[in-house]
Amino acid sequence: MRDRLREALEHSRADYTEIRVERTWSSAVSFRGRRLEAATASEDVGGFVRALNRGCGWGIASFTSLDQLPVMVTRAHQLSRAVRLEEPIRLANVAPQQAEVLLDLDGDVRGVPLSEKKRLLEAYNGAMLAVGGRVVDTQASYHDEVSEYWYVNSEGAAVHELRPEVVLSGTATARRDGTIEKGLESIGLRKGWRSVHDCAARFRAAAERAVALLDAPSVKGGTYPVILDPDLAGVFIHEAFGHLSEADFVYENPQAREMMTLGRRFGKPVLNVGDNGAAVGLRGTLPFDDEGTPTQDTPLIREGVLVGRLHSRETAARLGERPTGNARAISFRHPPIVRMTNTYIGNGRGTFQDLIRDIPLGVYACSAFGGQTLLENFSFTAAYGHMIRDGRVAELVKDVVLAGNLFETLDRIDRVAGDFRWNQMGGGCGKGGQFPLPVTEGAPHVRIEEALVGGDVAR
Amino acid sequence: MSERVLEGLLDAVHRRAEGGDALWRREERTSLAFEAGRLKTAGVTEEAGMNLRVVQGGRVGVAGTTAADARPEDLLARALASAELGETLAVAFPGKVPLPHIATHVDHVANATLDDLTRMGRALVQQLSRDGCQVNISIEREVSETRVLNTAGAAASYQATAIAVTAGLVRFAGDDVLMVYDQSVGADLPNEADLNALVTSIQARLEFALRIATPPEGALPVIFTPGGLTAILLPLEMSLSGKAVVQGTSKLAGNVGEQIFDPRLSLTDDPLVPGRASSRPCDDEGVPSRTLPLIERGIVRGFVYDLETAARAGTASTGHGRRGVFGKPHIDYSNLVLGTRDGEAGGGRGGASAFAGGLLDGIADGLVVDDLIGVGQGNVIGGAFSHPVALAYRVQHGEITGRVKDAAVAGNVYGLLKRIGGLGNDGRWWGSRWAPSLLLEGVSVARR
Repeated sequence: MRDRLREALEHSRADYTEIRVERTWSSAVSFRGRRLEAATASEDVGGFVRALNRGCGWGIASFTSLDQLPVMVTRAHQLSRAVRLEEPIRLANVAPQQAEVLLDLDGDVRGVPLSEKKRLLEAYNGAMLAVGGRVVDTQASYHDEVSEYWYVNSEGAAVHELRPEVVLSGTATARRDGTIEKGLESIGLRKGWRSVHDCAARFRAAAERAVALLDAPSVKGGTYPVILDPDLAGVFIHEAFGHLSEADFVYENPQAREMMTLGRRFGKPVLNVGDNGAAVGLRGTLPFDDEGTPTQDTPLIREGVLVGRLHSRETAARLGERPTGNARAISFRHPPIVRMTNTYIGNGRGTFQDLIRDIPLGVYACSAFGGQTLLENFSFTAAYGHMIRDGRVAELVKDVVLAGNLFETLDRIDRVAGDFRWNQMGGGCGKGGQFPLPVTEGAPHVRIEEALVGGDVAR
Repeated sequence: MSERVLEGLLDAVHRRAEGGDALWRREERTSLAFEAGRLKTAGVTEEAGMNLRVVQGGRVGVAGTTAADARPEDLLARALASAELGETLAVAFPGKVPLPHIATHVDHVANATLDDLTRMGRALVQQLSRDGCQVNISIEREVSETRVLNTAGAAASYQATAIAVTAGLVRFAGDDVLMVYDQSVGADLPNEADLNALVTSIQARLEFALRIATPPEGALPVIFTPGGLTAILLPLEMSLSGKAVVQGTSKLAGNVGEQIFDPRLSLTDDPLVPGRASSRPCDDEGVPSRTLPLIERGIVRGFVYDLETAARAGTASTGHGRRGVFGKPHIDYSNLVLGTRDGEAGGGRGGASAFAGGLLDGIADGLVVDDLIGVGQGNVIGGAFSHPVALAYRVQHGEITGRVKDAAVAGNVYGLLKRIGGLGNDGRWWGSRWAPSLLLEGVSVARR
C-alpha cells in the first residue's frame, strides 16, 4: 500500500498533496428489551486526497474504489486549480513524520466471533433487565472496530497505524403510570476485546438510577450554587468552551478573534483548561492528527486566562501560531477540520466535601443526558441530580437542566476539587457534518457559585 | 463496485438462503464551500456500497461493504453468520409490482459544471455581503443511483439528483454572536426566485435581530416558524413511527381514529412530491411509494413501517424503510408535510413570504421562535420540551420589537396542539419538511 501511495504522490502535479487510506473492519450488536435487534459485521474501505496549489484553494476527493486513486489525485489537483484565491492558503511547518504505529489491540476484536460479542452484550443488557418490574425497556449496543490507516503527504510524511476501538452503551427505561425515566451507561475505549469485561455492575447501576428517578421530584427551577460532577464538568468544558477554542471558529473573523484574544480573562485563577491528544490510553488519543502533525497537550486557559487554541496547519499559519495536532477527520469521507481530542479541566485542590461544606441550598448535577451550545449560549441536561442542603448531599432530583451564558458561567466557577478523572464515554463529538468523532473529557468536581437550573417542566 | 455484483449476489442468496434482499447505491457528490465570502474548497466524493439481508432458518441477518474488492460469497457468509444470531421473523419481501412514476433525476442538475455552481455561490455572496457580517455558503450537488433486488422478484432501479444550498451570516458584536442561516434543497436547481427568497429570508431575519429586546415572561402566544418547528414536530414523528408502536413507547398507538389534536393539524408523509430530494418510486426495501396520511384534521390515521417492524406488528410496510451500506434497514420519513401544500407554486421552496406567516396581528405580547438549542435531547417522545432560544424575536402589539436573548420556551406538545392559534400563510420546505409557521397559545416563556 505504501508504495502505491508514494507512486500516486509522485504523479501529482499539485504543489501540495496528501492521501489517506483507511480499511475498517467493524462489528455491531444491539438489543432492545430481550430481543436481539442486530448482529452485523461490516467492512469499509476508502481513500481521501487533498491538493493545494499556490494562489488556489483546496481540492478534495474521496472515494471507495481504491483503483481510482491515481484518477482522484488528478481530480483533487484540478479542483484546487479551479478555486482562485487572492489571499493564499499557507500551511504552518511541521517536520514530516515517518511512523509505523501499531496500537495495542488489547485482544484483537477481529478474532472474536460475533456470537461471543452477542453473549457479552446480552449479559450487560440482562443486568439492566434484572433490576426488575419497573424497568420496562432497555437498549444496549456494542460496537467495535479495527482500522488500518495510511497517511502520506508530498512533504515526506508517511504514517501507518492500526487503531482499535470498542464502545458499549445501555439505556434503561423505567416507568410507573405516566412517569418515564431513563438511566444511561456508556463506555468508549481505544482498546480491544479484553477491556470491556466486568462492566455488568455499571449497567445495573444505570437501571437502578432510572427506577430511583421515578420517585424523585423535579428540581425546583431557579438560581443555585451548582456542583458539577466530573462527568458533567467534562461535557460542559468540551461543549461550552472547547468549540470556541477551535481556531477555525476565529481565524477568518476579526470580531471573533477579538472575542477570543489570547490574554483575555475567562475565569478565576482556579480555572485551568486544556486539550491533550497525546494523553496515554484515551479514546481521543492518537500519535498524529490527520495532517500528520504529532498530537500534544495544549493549554487553553491557565489560571483563568486564555493562553491557547486548537489548530490545523492552515489556521496556525493564518494566526501566526503553532500547529497543535488537532486537524481530524472522522473517516476518509471527510477533510480534516479543527477538532478536540481529550479536553479537560485541570485538577484543583481539596475534596468534594470541601466544595459543598458552606452551601446552605444548592444543586449537585451529575452525568449528562446531553448538551448543546450555540456559541456563547449553552444548555445541558444532567442525567440526575441531588439537592445540597446545609452542606450535605440530600434528596435525588430530576429534570436538572443547566442553561446560561458561557462567559458568565466560566467566570462563576469559584472552586475546583482535586479529584480529577477522565470520563471514557462512547458517542462522540459532532461538527461540520462529521459525527461521531472519538473524544474524551475529563475534570474534577467543579463549583459554579451561581447558575440557572431549569426544572418543573410541564409533562 | 459494479452494480452487476448485485445480480451475482442475489443468485448466491437464492442458492444458499431461504430469501433475502440487497441494496446497491452509488453516489457522486460535488461540494463547494465559501468561507467568509471566499470560495475555499471544492470537492468530489464517489462512493458505492452494498447492503445485503438474508433469511436463513427463519432468522434475519445483514452485512454491508464498500470494499470494491469484496467478493459476493464473503458478504453472503457474513450475512449468514449474522442470521445465525438474528431474530426469527417472517419478513414479507415485496414481489414484482409496478412502481409509481416519479421524476427523481434532473439532467441539468447532473450536468451542472463546477463553474455553474461557483457562479451561483458567488452571486449569493454578493447579495448577502454586508458590513460586520461573515458570509458562509455551501453548495452540494448529488447524483445517485439506487438498485434494490430481492428473492421475491422485486427489482427496482432509479437515478436521482439533489442539490442543497445553505447560506448563513455570522455577526459578532462584543460577546454577542448572531447567526442567521437558511437553505434551499431540492431535486432541481434553485431558480432565481428561489435564490432571491433565500437572500430575502436571511436579510429579513438579520434585520429584525439587530435590536435586542427584553424577553417577556409567562404563558404566552408563541409562533414557531417553519425552521423553528422541529421541537414541536419531533415528538409526533417519534410517536408515529411503527417502531415506537411495537415497543410500546408511542403516545399515539392507541389513538387511531380519535380526535387527538386541533382539527387544523394534518400531517402527511409524501414520497411522491415532484422535485423533492427525498422523493422516490420505492423505499430502500423495494416497497412502492405512496402518500400516507398520518394525522388528518386532528385525527390519528396511521404509522410508518418498514418491512421488519411491519412483520413484528403484524401489518404491512408503508414503504418507509431506509438503509445505508451498513446495518439494518430502519424506519425513516420521506417528505413530511404539515397542513396542505397550498402556495407551493409561489416559490415555497426556500422562500420567505411575510415573516411569521401573517400571524403577528393580534398578538399583544409573545415570541417568534426561529431556532432552539438542544432539540432532540431529553425525553422527547413524552412530548415535554424545554429549550433556550437560539434565535427568537419578541412580538408586541403585532410588531416585532427585536431579538430576544437569554430566554427559554417550555411546554408539552400534546397539550399545546389540542388548540392551535393559527397556521401561517408562509408554508415552505425546510429540508424534507413542508410547514407553515404555527401559532401556539400558552407556551411557557422564561427569562434567565
